[in-house]
Formats: sequence, C-alpha cells, structure tokens
Amino acid sequence: MTSQSSPLPVMAAAAARPAGLVATLTAWRVPLTILALCLLPWVLPSKALAVNVLIYGLIAVGYNLLFGYTGLLSFGHAAFFGAGAYATGIAIGQFGLPWFVAVALGVVFGGALAVVIGLLSIRTRGIYFSMVTLALSQLVYYAALQASSWTGGENGLRGFTVAKISLFGVAVDFLNPVAKYYVLMIFAALALWLVSRILNSPFGAAIEAIRENETRARACGYDVERTKLLSFTLSGLICALAGTMSALHLAIVPLDTLHYHTSGMIVMMTLLGGAGSFFGPFVGALAFLLMEDVISLWTSHWQIVVGSVFILFVLFLPKGIWGTALSWRAGR
Amino acid sequence: MNAPLLAVENVGRRFGGFVALEGVTASFEPNKVTAIIGPNGAGKSTFFNVLSGVLPPSTGSIRFKGQDLTGTPQHRFVHLGIARSYQITNIFPDLSVHENVRVAAQAFRARYDIWTDRSRLPELDDKADAALAAVGLSQQRGATAKFLAHGQQRALEIAIALVAEPELLLLDEPTAGMGPEETKDMVALIEKLAADRTILLVEHKMKMILGLSDRILVLHHGRLIADGTPQHIQADSEVRRVYLGQNDGYA
Amino acid sequence: MDAELIAMQLFSGVALGAILIMVALGLSIIFGMLGVVNFAHGALFMVGAYAGLWVASLTGSFWWGLLIAPLAIGAFGMAIEFLLIRPLYKRSVDDPLLLTFGLGYVLVEAVRIVFGSDGIPFETPALLSGVADLGIGFFPVYRLFVVGVVAAVLVLLWLFLEKTKYGLIVRAGARDPLIMRVLGVDIGRVWLMVFGLGIGLTALGGVLAAPMRNVSPEMGALVLAEAFVVTVIGGMGSLIGAVVAGLLVGVAVSMTALFAPEMATIVMFALMALVLLVRPQGLFGRAVAGH
Repeated sequence: MTSQSSPLPVMAAAAARPAGLVATLTAWRVPLTILALCLLPWVLPSKALAVNVLIYGLIAVGYNLLFGYTGLLSFGHAAFFGAGAYATGIAIGQFGLPWFVAVALGVVFGGALAVVIGLLSIRTRGIYFSMVTLALSQLVYYAALQASSWTGGENGLRGFTVAKISLFGVAVDFLNPVAKYYVLMIFAALALWLVSRILNSPFGAAIEAIRENETRARACGYDVERTKLLSFTLSGLICALAGTMSALHLAIVPLDTLHYHTSGMIVMMTLLGGAGSFFGPFVGALAFLLMEDVISLWTSHWQIVVGSVFILFVLFLPKGIWGTALSWRAGR
Repeated sequence: MNAPLLAVENVGRRFGGFVALEGVTASFEPNKVTAIIGPNGAGKSTFFNVLSGVLPPSTGSIRFKGQDLTGTPQHRFVHLGIARSYQITNIFPDLSVHENVRVAAQAFRARYDIWTDRSRLPELDDKADAALAAVGLSQQRGATAKFLAHGQQRALEIAIALVAEPELLLLDEPTAGMGPEETKDMVALIEKLAADRTILLVEHKMKMILGLSDRILVLHHGRLIADGTPQHIQADSEVRRVYLGQNDGYA
Repeated sequence: MDAELIAMQLFSGVALGAILIMVALGLSIIFGMLGVVNFAHGALFMVGAYAGLWVASLTGSFWWGLLIAPLAIGAFGMAIEFLLIRPLYKRSVDDPLLLTFGLGYVLVEAVRIVFGSDGIPFETPALLSGVADLGIGFFPVYRLFVVGVVAAVLVLLWLFLEKTKYGLIVRAGARDPLIMRVLGVDIGRVWLMVFGLGIGLTALGGVLAAPMRNVSPEMGALVLAEAFVVTVIGGMGSLIGAVVAGLLVGVAVSMTALFAPEMATIVMFALMALVLLVRPQGLFGRAVAGH
C-alpha cells in the first residue's frame, strides 16, 4: 500500500479542505458575524426586525449545535427559550431582582430544564427522540398555562419592563431601540464566541463524530449518551440566553413562546439557512423573518408561503442557503 | 506459559428464543493470532460483538487481564485495551483520513473539553500520524475518508482501532470484499501488527487463515466444535464434515 | 364522590381514548411500515374534521361526512406519500419528518384561508344526541356511538391484518422489509396503501371527534402531541400498544379531570415520562433489536 498509482491523489486533492475564501470565512467567523450584526439595524427595514433576527439567530445557533453538529433533531427547544424568558420576567417582575441577576437566573433555569428533558429523551433511540422532545416541551407549555399565578397563563407574563440598565457603569436607555439592540448584541456576541470555541474544541470533534457514525464513535471509546446530554445542555443554555434577551426586549412573554410551533420555527430557520454550518442559522433566521415581513405586507397568511418554501428546501436544498453556497464553492 | 490475556467462560447469547452462541469457553494468550471460522450463521459475529461489549452475554463471563467485564458498557472496552474493526467498513465518511484517526485518539483524553482549541493538542496529531504510518496511509491523510479505495478504507478502520493502543485487537473479516492484491497487503499488515499484539480475527479465506494464525477456533450453530493449531484443525473430521459442500476456498 | 359520576367519567375517558386510538394507530402503522414519523398527522386529523363538516353541510347528512371524509383524506394521504415522501426514502430518517412538519404548517394555514381562523361548532346529529340509560347511569349517546365505531374499525382492521393476503404482506413487511422484495411484492404499492390507511384512520378520528370538540385549525396541535404520548407509551410500531395506551391515556386524563382538573392535560405527559424512565421502548415495544 505504499506507492499509489490509483486515481486517488486527484480525488484527494478535490476532496481536501476548500482553501481560500471558505477557510478565511471559517477563521474569522466570529468577528465577521459580529460585524454583520453591527450593520444589521441599518440595512434592515426596521429596528424591530433587526432585534428579532438577533434573538432568533442566536436560538438557531444554539439549536444548530444539537441538530446540525450532533445530529439530533429536537422538537422541544421552545421549552428552553421560554424557560429563559419566563424566569427572567418572573425574577424582575415578582422578585424585583436586578436585570443581570435575572438574566443569569434565566440561563441557569433554562439549562437545568435542558438537563432534565435531555436525560429523559436521550434514553430513547433514533426517531423517538423528536417525538419525546416535542411531548416533553408541550408538558412545559401546559404546566405554564396552569401555573397562571406565576406565568400569567394564557395572557402571558407582563409587568416587568426594564427601562434603564447600567452596563459597566454606563446607564443605557433601554427604551431606545438602537441602544437596546446593541446591548443585546453584546450577549449574542459572547454566546457566538462560546459556540465557536465549542466547535473548535475536542468536544466539537466528538459530537461531529457521533453525528457521522454513532456506532464507530462508541467503539472508539466515547460515552455517546453523556456526550449527547452535554451537547443538549449547551444547546439549551444558549436558547435560554436568547429567551432572556427576548424577555428584556419585549417586556412580555407570550405563552406561545413555549408552544412547539416555536420549536418548529427554530427547526425551519436552522434548516433554511444550513444546518451544520456556522453562519447558516443566522442566514436562516434572517431569511425566515424577512419572508414573514415582506409577505405579511399583502397577506396575513404568510405561513403558507413559508411552509411551502420549507418543503421545497427539504426536497431540493436540504443543505440550506449557506450550506448549498458552501458546497458550490467546494465543488468548483 | 503466560497468563491468559482474555478468558471466556461458558459464554452464551440468545435473541428471544434463538440461541446464537452457547457454552463457549476458551482463553487467549498474549501476542498470538487466533482465527475464528465457521459457516455463515455459526455465531462468529455474535461472539465478536460479545467480546467487544456491543452485546452483553446472556450467560457466562469474560475476563480481560483478570478483570471481569460483566456489566461494563461498550465504550469502556476500548479504554481497557480491546479495540475492534467491523465486517462492513465502519469509519467517519465525511471526515478526513487524519481526522478519523485523531478523533479516535482524542477519546482517551479531552473527551468533554469544550474550551481548548483542537490545534493546541499536537500530541493527538502525532499519534494519529503514527497510526496512519503503521497502516500505510500517510499519503492519504488529507483525503476525505469516503473517497478512499475500499482496501484503504479497511486499513483506515484498523488505524482507528490501533490509535487506542489496544492489547487485544478484534478484526471482523478484515479482507472482506478485497481483491487478491489488497488481500496480500492486508495480510502483511496483520503480520506486522501481530508482532506485539494479541489478534483475534474472523475470516472466510482459508488459505490466508492457515498461513497467518497460530490457532483456529471453529464455531458451528453457536457452539465451539474445534480448537487447535491450523494443522490440527485441517485434520479434524468434524470440521471437515461441517464444511463439506460449502467450499469457501477451503482446501 | 358517587359511583355513578365515576362511571360516567370513566366512560368519557374511554370515548376520548377511542379517538386517540384512531390517531395513534395511523401514526404507528405508518411508522412500522415506512419508518416515517408523520408530523402532519395532527393537521390531517384537523383536515379530516373540516372535510367531515363540509361534506355534512353539503349533503345535509352527518353520515355522508363520516363516510366520505376519511376516504377522501385517505386518498389525499396517498397523494402526499407519492409526491412528497417517496423521493425522501433514500435519505436520512429526519427528512420525511421535517417535510411532514412543513406540510402540517401549510395545511393549517390553508384551512384558515378556506374556512377562516375561528372555530366552527359541529352539531351532534339528532339521532345521536341525548343520553341513554344503561342501567348503571346515563351516558351520552354520541360517545357510545364513537366507542362503537372505533371498536368496529378495530375489528375490521384486525380481520384485515390477520385474515387477508394484503394483511399478511403488511405484517411481514413491518417486521422485515427485505421479505417483501424476496416475495416479489411491489413495495411501492404497499407503502401507498399503508400511508393512505394511516391517514384515513386519523381523518376518521377527526370526524368522530368533531361533535365533541370545537372544530378549529389549531385542533390538530394538541392531538399530535397526544398521539406522540400514546405512541411512546404503547411502543412505536405496536398496534396493540396503541390501543392499550390510547385507552390508558384517555381514562387517565378524564379521571384526573374529575379529581384535579388543572392537572388533566399534564397527567398524560407525566405518564409518558414515567414510562420512559421505566421502559424506554414503551409498554409493548420490542427491546433493542440486536444482530
């Protein structure tokens, strides 16, 4: 097996890591994303849309860690997003805690819920996982509906408006949409940096190995269940952070935040943008919310268009917008 | 005489009412090559799956270096020193050849490290490169695994197992689907590896087994019907009877 | 708490369970045969209810709605399998799941466009309204009717699976798809039929449920989660499991509604969590398949 006269070297060259633009994008992925996020409020039609892209983009990034990189299709991530939002709102509105404590509590609460739901759902195999995560997140939804003295039930959680926050000694007017956007962006930037580190770490290699071939990863000595649980929890923590951001932004937590339709939306955004790629989730969130924004100008039934576009993507472009663009470049 | 590395005691495995393996007892000394043969459905794969922790045995026990493996989860086996390859090539198809082996090397340290940059762990790169060199795949290290030729994918799978530095290597039909040239390369590789390692292999190619193994076990209907040197097995009348009529190159 | 009230509530649980059985059975049959988890199942239940409503209002008879809607929606299901799901069989198991989720999204919105977003009450047919005295108490006639219809469907399904050639093929195929190729069966036609059957069952569930629930575009969302709970408890792909777990969940929900109404929706999820802890493969599910 020493001297190779087979056509392999040619194949190897074609299959080698795409150099050039793609490699540069990968090396600079965090600064580039932050730069794009800095520009977002000035290129999009409204500031409200920019904040939504920021928040849903971050959820999709967290979700992508599990779906795109670990290969687990969860339909329950609304639970962690909602848990983060509710915990933040309750901490501020009912306990009068400072906003940064509330944010920390929201993240911890969402993460703890992810551990519990992860422990239950990762015990199941294969296709069960999607059903079980959906059902368990609906349990959270109905629990929030019933515990209305805490959550406001069907009306959602209200009454915790944060008007001013102080950040590193500087008072920021949180009612000013631009100021609010940039404060929230700091959190998103930190989370993106964390996700990028996770993906570059040995653990990042381990989850990719499990996605690629679970049997082989187990035979290599990986405790597959524990690795999945850690990935599930990290993913839940990031979604919970996005939830706290959403609570601070809207100053209300609608009950529907917890519904599995929200989970479905996260799945759709991630797939539209490109699961398993770093920029994909933000591209997907942007595409989804832009579609919603534009189509609702002439019909309230925008969901039928978005759903149809999603079906077409599953059929013909399963790698999503960004993933397809990447493989075009790599394929040249 | 050395103490056995692996001792299998009365091992059996059932699937519902079907008995795939029954009452197998054998012990294996270090640094020997043992082949396991038998007609299709004899229980060879089940035996391998039990030895590598994929399936817990229904009865009996396995001791490795004196330690009872009953109840040990599969992923612990490789940490203890038992690594395997699969009958159907089992690699990480979309990773590069080098990444395939490196991710296997990484399982022994830094499994849950979410912080360190992978490029800051050069000793893993070196380990992977050494394993690739051992199987003759150094030149292909940058290629995506799924684009390798079949024989090279089989070699890659052995490199993935080797990087764990196992004392016991289980090879499930390492030459399956290979032509004569590739088979020759694989035999040379196994001979090289056997110098300082215990190897168990399942194979159908009898000529190869007779030249390669120190010892042969024959399974039939889940039972061990013969156990001895290649010469002994060739002369065994029961083995001849079992193989009569299905000539897997057995001659 | 008197015994009559408990008996009534128990019976109402059986009626609820009967609807769940129709939905979960369809889900389970499709999964067992095609390996597809149909996330549009709840939406198709809802579409079934609307179709029943529409046919009933057109013909002026509930009976036509009950007969035609499941057949029509079953045929629609066949079209879905043929056009949308068939291209995905060679891909990851997640792809049909994602596709059917998108389809459910589209179907809900399509119904909103055609029938409006508000719920529509569905009149119980005159013949089946009122209560019947069974000696042990008074029971709503319509619920007795629902339980009867579901029992009849289960018997027919059992006869079909156990006594006919097609049933044999379906059972063999669910166990090992390879057998079908060996036997030379046109597997594509069987898939089409099974998908249509599964969707027809959930549509029938939708029509039957219509007079008991408010018919609205959102009615499928809860049903989908309920069907998942029943399937996980019973064991994926097990038809007996779907029946037993359906009844179990129905009775558990309605008994909880009697004693602790605020826990009624939550109890079935708790039941599922318990089953996952004790027996992850479900009550009637086969343990890990090993070779």
